[in-house]
Amino acid sequence: MTDETERLTSEIIRRETHSSRAVPATILAVLVILASLYLMLETALKALGQDPWLLSPEDAAGWVGSLPAGISPSVLAAAGALVFLLGLFFFLAAVLPGRKARLSIPNKRAAVVVDAEVLASSLARRARVAAGVTPEQVLVTIGRRLVEVQVRPTSGIPVSGQVVQSAVEDELRRTAVDPVPEVRVAVAESGVIGQ
Amino acid sequence: MNQTPRTLNRILLAVFGLLLMAAGALAMALGAPAVATWWQSTAARAGAAIGGVLESTALPGQRDSWLWIVAALLLVLLIILMIAWVANQGKGRSGTLAYDDDDTPVPGSVTINAAVAEQALKAALSERVDLVNSAVSTYEFRNRPALKVRVSPRQGVAPDMVAEEVSALVTALDAALGVQTPVLISISGGARTRFTRAERVR
Repeated sequence: MTDETERLTSEIIRRETHSSRAVPATILAVLVILASLYLMLETALKALGQDPWLLSPEDAAGWVGSLPAGISPSVLAAAGALVFLLGLFFFLAAVLPGRKARLSIPNKRAAVVVDAEVLASSLARRARVAAGVTPEQVLVTIGRRLVEVQVRPTSGIPVSGQVVQSAVEDELRRTAVDPVPEVRVAVAESGVIGQ
Repeated sequence: MNQTPRTLNRILLAVFGLLLMAAGALAMALGAPAVATWWQSTAARAGAAIGGVLESTALPGQRDSWLWIVAALLLVLLIILMIAWVANQGKGRSGTLAYDDDDTPVPGSVTINAAVAEQALKAALSERVDLVNSAVSTYEFRNRPALKVRVSPRQGVAPDMVAEEVSALVTALDAALGVQTPVLISISGGARTRFTRAERVR
């Protein structure tokens, strides 16, 4: 890879593993557009010297300025809380890191990102083969630093957690996800019957 | 890998979020009498000041200020900016894979259409039984064309093998085209992988 391609590739990996915040941005833009459309209508009516449609800008400003008067305190507090929560939603969307449930695999040529779901199903297959159980008896959860494998053995056939652990770790090492998570295997106390 | 303005998204979301939080917090605080008296006196003073400005800018022969026209135009501008903001989300699909107008290797300009890479990769990927679905698209990223290969493997297929084999296809494409573009291989799950059976024989 040339330097330029390599730089762009690492930038692509960063972008693909983090949220673009397109959805909250679009919601916010639509809200601002709706509010602006209404304000613009009233302002334009005022500028043309026409009667207001619902409430003239001056009356609206006067009502806001006199606020706790003319409205029940509980309604005002509830409306305030609602607006505050909406603002908090947008603010947190902007400030939080916004990591997606995706991992990157080092590759010589391309930027490779894998949904955690896909990696989990491949780890589950390895764990299932190592434990000798059916797909329904294995549950794999992938976090950023921890992979949890839960196995429910078939009743009467013991499953060695050590074997499952080394199989899953081997699969993870081969996948070479970056950063490498820790593996924790939990074999359930009670088995299932009829598998 | 598209041209979504991510920094702008974060800045605008933070600014409008803080504004809404401030307004909500003020509305909740108005329940307290001290805050209510402060708010009413401040609002009255601000209202008087704005009223004075509006009066002094009234058009001759009319009772209303020309500032209302300015305000309406500013709101139109705000609406246009917001529409432009939304239109930029997810933008960046492109139809050109490579463009070269240097006279050094061959005279004239050479354009390779994105469909070349898309169809070649798609044909190679559609033969594979361990993939449920695949899609190839071209984006313009940082003023350079870039390829996005999205594949959905069946349940249980090892992602590193898929990545290795797709990147081998990409390397072959590099050799065929003579240009190297940044490539994203996105191995994703999805509803279709969940409802198709796992591959048992390979």
